[in-house]
Amino acid sequence: MKLLWKLLRQHVSIGQLAGFFLANLLGMLIVLLSLQFYEDVVPAFSGEDGVIKNTYVILSKRIAAVSALRGEAQTFSESDISDLSQQPFVRKVGVFTASQYQVYASLSTGGIGMGTDMFFESVPDDFVDIKWPASATSHDAGQMSEVPIILPRTYLALYNFGFAQTKNLPKLSEGVVSMIPMDIRLRGEAGKEMRLKGRVVGFSTRLNTVLVPESFMQRTNADLAPSASAAPTRLIVEVKNPADDAIASYVQERGYELENNSLEAGRATYFLKITAAIVMAVGLLISALSFYILMLSVFLLVQKNAEKLQNLLLIGYSRARVALPYQLLTIGLNAAVLLLAIAVLFWVRDWYLHRLWQMFPALSEGSVNSTLLIGLALFCLVSFLNALAIRRKITSISRPR
Amino acid sequence: MNQISLHNTLPLVFAQRSDNTSELWLQNVSFERGHLYLIEAASGTGKSSLCAYLTGYRRDYSGAITFDGRDIRDLHNFEWTGIRRRSLSLMFQELRLFPELTAWENVEIKNQLTRHKSEAELTAWFEALGIDEKRNTRLGLMSFGQQQRVALIRALCQPFDFLLADEPVSHLDQENSQVMGEVMMQEAQRQGAAVIITSIGHHMELPYERVFKL
Repeated sequence: MKLLWKLLRQHVSIGQLAGFFLANLLGMLIVLLSLQFYEDVVPAFSGEDGVIKNTYVILSKRIAAVSALRGEAQTFSESDISDLSQQPFVRKVGVFTASQYQVYASLSTGGIGMGTDMFFESVPDDFVDIKWPASATSHDAGQMSEVPIILPRTYLALYNFGFAQTKNLPKLSEGVVSMIPMDIRLRGEAGKEMRLKGRVVGFSTRLNTVLVPESFMQRTNADLAPSASAAPTRLIVEVKNPADDAIASYVQERGYELENNSLEAGRATYFLKITAAIVMAVGLLISALSFYILMLSVFLLVQKNAEKLQNLLLIGYSRARVALPYQLLTIGLNAAVLLLAIAVLFWVRDWYLHRLWQMFPALSEGSVNSTLLIGLALFCLVSFLNALAIRRKITSISRPR
Repeated sequence: MNQISLHNTLPLVFAQRSDNTSELWLQNVSFERGHLYLIEAASGTGKSSLCAYLTGYRRDYSGAITFDGRDIRDLHNFEWTGIRRRSLSLMFQELRLFPELTAWENVEIKNQLTRHKSEAELTAWFEALGIDEKRNTRLGLMSFGQQQRVALIRALCQPFDFLLADEPVSHLDQENSQVMGEVMMQEAQRQGAAVIITSIGHHMELPYERVFKL
């Protein structure tokens, strides 16, 4: 083998092989990096453990001018809800129940009194991101002396930074707000009325409404407005993966509206996917071109050494044996490229993971196994094709005339 | 391998010729294992072509050539490799040595493949042929006559039934060609092989059993 290599390494061009090495390294690195980056970053945008944990979306029917004027109901029917529940991306569906009676809330502290007409809504308790006080869920509405209320966090911000700022009113913290007692008057059908106290128990970022416990709502609706039917106008849906494209297309198709930008993450993931795919394609293209460079270089080498190869065959060397040094050369180069690419990959990954952790401390790193496996597969494929091409080239120069 | 036969064989380039006086072309001729043959040829009579046909790197002939009755056109690559390694040894007119390697390495590259001769046996041949002091010289720096002797040693370090030597002594003096003839015949007889020598004039003095005019 030593002698054979001494003979066959004649005309080996270091420049060409270095060119191949760099090009292949670049291609391999781009492929592996795009894969690994995708693997590491996509979980941040999707999945339950992701940085963006928004697995709830709120649906309403689109309010079109015409239907609003006609007085058509913007409510969800039973079949709408059951159809939605059966969609594969849905984990569970909750209904917003609106109060069917009038609500008047007033507060009086230190001599200042103010009051407003308002409304209540409720959703099933397990959709609420704030825990109700234990007493609220078990109480009988009739005896309930104080109703717990959850306000949207945005309301407080709106008051503090908009209203209070311009009217020179004191700014309120969450704690202060929950200490203010409210007087609430509910007025239903046929003059039925109920008076009770209210207290804000929390601020929700998920639900953009004035919330009361589901059990309270059912009781009060039944007591105060027994004849009114409460078809839901909004639904809260827990989805398996907010990055699922199917959600957006379903919503579009049914003419529903998504309340907040809860699908933003889905779009970000989609773009990330496309970007990763494009980058990977570029990497593969560079790999393919580098493969081509190597093949040209080896073919040139074989052609230049054609006479030697022929002579070796004539003194009894087999084609496999004379092809072997060139095959080992290319496989060795490919292996060096793979190892170096993996080393650089880990280095670069270390760098970007640190940056990502600064932004998303909760981000868990993805697995490197699939990237390594794909790198290995690429190495095997390229080496196999190299070896095959070399064997064929040697066969072609040794074919009898 | 016991027999090499030509059956009406003719190089395609001679197809237009009408004046065939050859004792090999367009004849049915056999070479048998264990015998010594001389093929005498004038320039342009197809001697190199014959060697190329027998070694399997050219096929531009009509008729057939058989090894033990088997048409050599039907031989697979791996069969040719086996024949060249074990049955048919060739000493080419153009030598086909490797100028980048030393004289010794040129022999070694073949002996590594066949593992047929010990280092001592090879050294004995180098000494007998008077090129021992050149064994570590790069072949490209040696004279053609010296290279011919290296080529002979390379041809001998393998098992063979037939040794085909194409003008083996064209660049050697009488004395050296005599020694070469002795070394060659000794090994051939030891292996019970046939020797086929071609020549365009100057040839070794050996007890040829049959002489063909090409």
